[in-house]
Order: sequence, then C-alpha cells, then structure tokens
Amino acid sequence: MADRPSHLRVWDIPTRGAHWAIAVLFAFSWWSAKTNHLPWHRISGDLILGLLIFRLAWGMCGSQTARFSSFVKGPAAVLAYIRGDWTKGPGHNPLGGISVVALLAALTTQVVLGLFSVDEDGLEPGPLSRFVDFDVGRSLAKIHHLMFNVLLALVAIHLFAITIYELRGKRLVRPMLTGETRSEAGLQPPRFAPAWTGWATFAIAASAAWLLAHGLRLWGPV
Amino acid sequence: MALGIGLKSAAITAVLVFGATASLAAGLSAADAIKARHDHFKEMGGAAKMLGDQFKSGAPDAAIIKAQSAKLAQTAATLPTWFPAGTGPESGVKTRALPLIWTDKAGFSAAAKTLAAETAKLNTLAASGDMAGAGAQMQAVGAACGGCHKKYRAPES
Repeated sequence: MADRPSHLRVWDIPTRGAHWAIAVLFAFSWWSAKTNHLPWHRISGDLILGLLIFRLAWGMCGSQTARFSSFVKGPAAVLAYIRGDWTKGPGHNPLGGISVVALLAALTTQVVLGLFSVDEDGLEPGPLSRFVDFDVGRSLAKIHHLMFNVLLALVAIHLFAITIYELRGKRLVRPMLTGETRSEAGLQPPRFAPAWTGWATFAIAASAAWLLAHGLRLWGPV
Repeated sequence: MALGIGLKSAAITAVLVFGATASLAAGLSAADAIKARHDHFKEMGGAAKMLGDQFKSGAPDAAIIKAQSAKLAQTAATLPTWFPAGTGPESGVKTRALPLIWTDKAGFSAAAKTLAAETAKLNTLAASGDMAGAGAQMQAVGAACGGCHKKYRAPES
C-alpha cells in the first residue's frame, strides 16, 4: 500500500484505531450520561480509560508520528508554523500538536474524575470512589459534568480546524482513516514501530485499565 | 434487635409525622421542607454508597453494614412525611420532585412502602449477620430507589 509512489503512510493502525474508538466512545458516553444509563456510561468510560493509557504510552514508545516528541514543540516552533516558515515533516504540525495534547489532557482529567465520581443515589459509583466519601464523590461528579463542556469546546475547535484545512485543500480526515497521505517533495517517510511493540503496549494498557475499572481489586464483583 | 429497631423507627416516624404537621402549621416554609428532604435523600445516598463499598470489597465490614442498613431502613420509613402539599415545583423552590407525587398519591405511597419494606428486609438480614443475604437484598433496595426515581423525579438537567 505504502509503495504507491504518490502516497506516503503517516498513521499506523494503533494510532488510527485509538483515535476513532475514542471518538465513538466519547459520543456514546455523552448519550449514556444524558439518558441516565449509568452502567453503560461506566463501561464506556472504562474502555476510554484503556484507550487513553494506550495512546499515552504509544506517544512514548510508538511510531514516530504518534510520539509526543515529534509534535510537542515550544512556542517558537508554533509561531514559525503560523508565519509559514516551518520545515514540513509527516504527522502533526506544531499547532495541531497543541490541540492533541489539550484533547488528551482534558480526556484524561475527565476519565480520572469519572473514576472517583459518585451518582446522586450512591448506587452506581465510579470504580475508585471507595477511596472518597459520598460528598467528595458528588463534588467530583459535578466537576466531571462541568469538565464535559471544556471537552466539547476542544472537540469543536478540533473539528473546526480540520474543516478549515480541508477547505484549503489539505486533507486530514482521509489519512486518519486510511493511514496514507499524498506524498509531497521533501516529505520523509516516518519510522513505524513493530507490531510486537503495539501488542505489548496494548496488553499493558488493557491490564492497567482492567485493574482500575475493578477498583484496584484483583477479585470480587465490580 | 429487630423489634428494638422496629419500635425505634416507629417512634421516629411518629415524631416526624407530628413534627411535619406541627411545623407546617407553624408556617415552615416550602424551602425548608425541600431542603430537609434533599438532606434526607443525600443521607440515603451516602448510606447506599457505604453499603455498596462494603459489599463489593472482598471482606465486608459487618459493623458498617449493620449501621448503614439500620440508617437506611429508619430513614426510608419516614419518607412519606417528606412531601407535604405545596413542596412541589409550584413552590418556586428548585426541586426535581414531579407533580405526579401529589396527583398519583396511591402510586407514590405504594412506591414508598416498597422502599420501606425492602430496606427493612435489608436491615433484618444485616442485623442477623447474614452478609451474603444482605448483599443480595441490596439489589432489591437499589431497584426500589430507581423505580421510584424514574417515575417521580425529574432527570438532572
């Protein structure tokens, strides 16, 4: 696939998979909270937790375009990008990198708040809520509720920016689906992590999420 | 033990019924009644959470389960007195209590009775030291809470 001369592979399957799975589960979490389906909301949150742990780890040991080191840049690089003098590389540009970090940070905050949140009836509390009392858990649930607005705003900015790029001829949605972008002169192919790294990271992330979702207990009911 | 708690909750009910009537006669505002009601429900939520935490742990603490089950049963027994006329949304005070509570008195009273019965059963099981039985009964208590909330409480906006 990547051998077609006009196409360049930029996103690996784990990065794309994590991205779209989080997007779908984000919408599902929203719906399940709105309609008060708390058991579903909790499962959705547990899955997002696992995907986030995976994505954060993949940002350190994954393929080049997924790594934070390749797109988290200082203000100088961001300003240079905005001015237009930026040496093009595959993957996120320095400005888009800020968006990625903001989205991941906000999502992580939201999931952690959810772990400790308690519902108003005290019947469907988050998996780590046994470490806080009812009142603290309720306050965290209220912050969890407010934090959702921050997430919605970040998602709106994310979608708005993508629309602008697409309208200006820079395709972003297709590469995130297929993994490939149009090759441009001087664009170096990125390095990709081997499959076993992906599976190992996946196993660690899934185990960590499972343990957290079970309230850090190895046995017993959820 | 069960008899003791039965008498105790009957006494509390009597005091609360008397108190509610007397205080409304004395002009207790709807806001005060709604605030007291919210506090009662928060107390029950707190007890439910503490019970859930224990039942989910590998080694439930019987003392906590006994105390919180008794609290839940005693509080639930007084629930019918928390909804005096004029404390619905028409009072202008922020409340998610639906007008149906006052228009469907029979249904609401039956739902309250179910909660009282299920929590009393939980309390009896906990007091007898049957932690597994109490844990299973907690499902019925949760269903009694949820069943009533679905019908008589407006969703969180």
